[in-house]
Amino acid sequence: MRLSRILCATGALLVALAGGTLLIALAGGTWHFASGAEAQTLARGHEDSRRVVQRMQKAAPAGTRGETLPLPRETVEADVSSRAIAITSAFTGTEIVVFGSVLNSRQPSAEAGYYDVIVVLEGIPEPVVARRKSNVAGLWVNTDSFDFESAPSYYAIASTRPIEEIADENFLEAHAIGLDYVRLSPAARSVIRTEPAEAKNFKEAVVRRREQDGLYLKADYAVIFIGKSLFRASIALPAHVPVGPLTARVYLFREGEVLSTFQQRVRLEREGLELWIYWFAMRHPALYGLFTVMVAVIAGLLASAAFRRKTAA
Amino acid sequence: MHIYLPIAEMPANVLLFLGMGSAVGFLSGLFGVGGGFLLTPLLIFSGIPTPVAVGTAAAQIVASSVSGAIAQWQRNNVDIKMGLVLLAGGIVGSVIGVQMVRILRLAGQFDLFVALAYVTFLGVIGTLMLIEAVGAIQRAQTQQRPSLARSSGQHNWIHRLPFKMRFHRSKLYISAIPPLAIGAFVGFLGAIIGAGGGFIMVPAMIYLLRMPTNVVIGTSLFQIVFVAALTTVMHATENYSVDVVLALILIVSGVIGAQYGAAAGARLKGEQLRLLLAALVLLVCVRIGWDLVATPADLYSISTSFGGAP
Repeated sequence: MRLSRILCATGALLVALAGGTLLIALAGGTWHFASGAEAQTLARGHEDSRRVVQRMQKAAPAGTRGETLPLPRETVEADVSSRAIAITSAFTGTEIVVFGSVLNSRQPSAEAGYYDVIVVLEGIPEPVVARRKSNVAGLWVNTDSFDFESAPSYYAIASTRPIEEIADENFLEAHAIGLDYVRLSPAARSVIRTEPAEAKNFKEAVVRRREQDGLYLKADYAVIFIGKSLFRASIALPAHVPVGPLTARVYLFREGEVLSTFQQRVRLEREGLELWIYWFAMRHPALYGLFTVMVAVIAGLLASAAFRRKTAA
Repeated sequence: MHIYLPIAEMPANVLLFLGMGSAVGFLSGLFGVGGGFLLTPLLIFSGIPTPVAVGTAAAQIVASSVSGAIAQWQRNNVDIKMGLVLLAGGIVGSVIGVQMVRILRLAGQFDLFVALAYVTFLGVIGTLMLIEAVGAIQRAQTQQRPSLARSSGQHNWIHRLPFKMRFHRSKLYISAIPPLAIGAFVGFLGAIIGAGGGFIMVPAMIYLLRMPTNVVIGTSLFQIVFVAALTTVMHATENYSVDVVLALILIVSGVIGAQYGAAAGARLKGEQLRLLLAALVLLVCVRIGWDLVATPADLYSISTSFGGAP
């Protein structure tokens, strides 16, 4: 403890000597370290700045000797084209543009391919049942089922190139990046009564069926760098996307190492008449049912009455 | 032109569903049937989730039957007492049916059950109608007059049942059990397959209860309106599967289509109409049956707890 305090103090002193530019870089917390282990530490804040100060002891002498300064660490700043998407009666799907920029980009041009970016847009987790048909006496009948406690209602991934080339499996799995690693949590009761190989089939089936439905999508090369630091990805949100909040995650990679991440919520909500009808149907189902019957009776009578008058005239 | 359906949670092509509603309406006007048995399969084929198709079709049946029921009422063609007995049965059947929908949905067998029910009933009714229509056409060609289906003195097992009631309008003195059973069966079916059940009730009233044909249509419409209304409310409360926006599109187009259908039907011969209807019923039956026996492209399917409680 005492040693580290001394180190800090000497570090601070050396930093002060190193000059204003270095101080600014430190305060911004954007110092870049070549070490891969260090680069993976994404959390910024107090904890980090203390370590940064310690590291400075190595870096500072170089600075004092007037040699080239180590370049500041890259970070990613991103946002989505719309943070709130309204589902109105005219909703027919939309496109969400995730855009961002790499701060302190060292990329010489947009085409250089110096950085890799992965964008994941994910819906809320919801329970899903997968079923398999078998032929029973000539008919195709659902015979086996497998319950998932949660599966994302929507999952889209876009990247600068195929994700297997960007990061290793362990990282992709840990962060649920890619259609192979979508977070599907099987229900315990299903796990107990199902063979592991079978369970895998059901898991794949969920992803496959959702992919066919257009709810799970993957687009390699869909993240495009526009300048040396600016990138964008456009992700299709189909009209039948389940209503609920979405999360956009952005990962910045350089040679397989994560440099920075970013997260942003996207609200997907019913609005206007859609909201009113849905709310009515869910909160007051009996009244809603009566209302529908009333609408049906009135519409039926009006339409036929209007027609009778027309044919009579 | 698309409109987002709030309960089905998907956008619908308004023109497609307007076309579907008017086509079914046209056919129902042409043949004098409710059309629910055609509408529900069409909705399912076009991607509407089965529970929503069934729940919404019930609302459409209310609309398509209500004007006919009122017209029949004004012409004094409704046997109210018989209608109420049928209705009592219908309510029981509908309550059981809606519960069945919920249980089958949880078990993942709802689609299968709907398909089997359709294949069975459409197959039987279609075949019977086809035989009858072909026979009628042959008789018409040989200039033979068909013998009357109903002879008043005839008695069958139905007349030996207890709890006899007098139905003045139908000029019947029969047990309350058969109409109750018919009502319950039709109500049950209506709740499960989203059809009014007129195509079952009308033959049952004529051939089993031996009601006079002039009150059959009015009485069945009277019963269908109330049972379909109840079914709609129960689907809304139990399954959250009634889409009012979709219902409105289908109702408006259906009622208009029915008027043209009725006008076209007046120009066709009865036997030809029944032959056409039989062919149509069998076609729908074969189409649904095909999906049951054909090897599916993907053996796996997934479902979410659709429209669960908020």
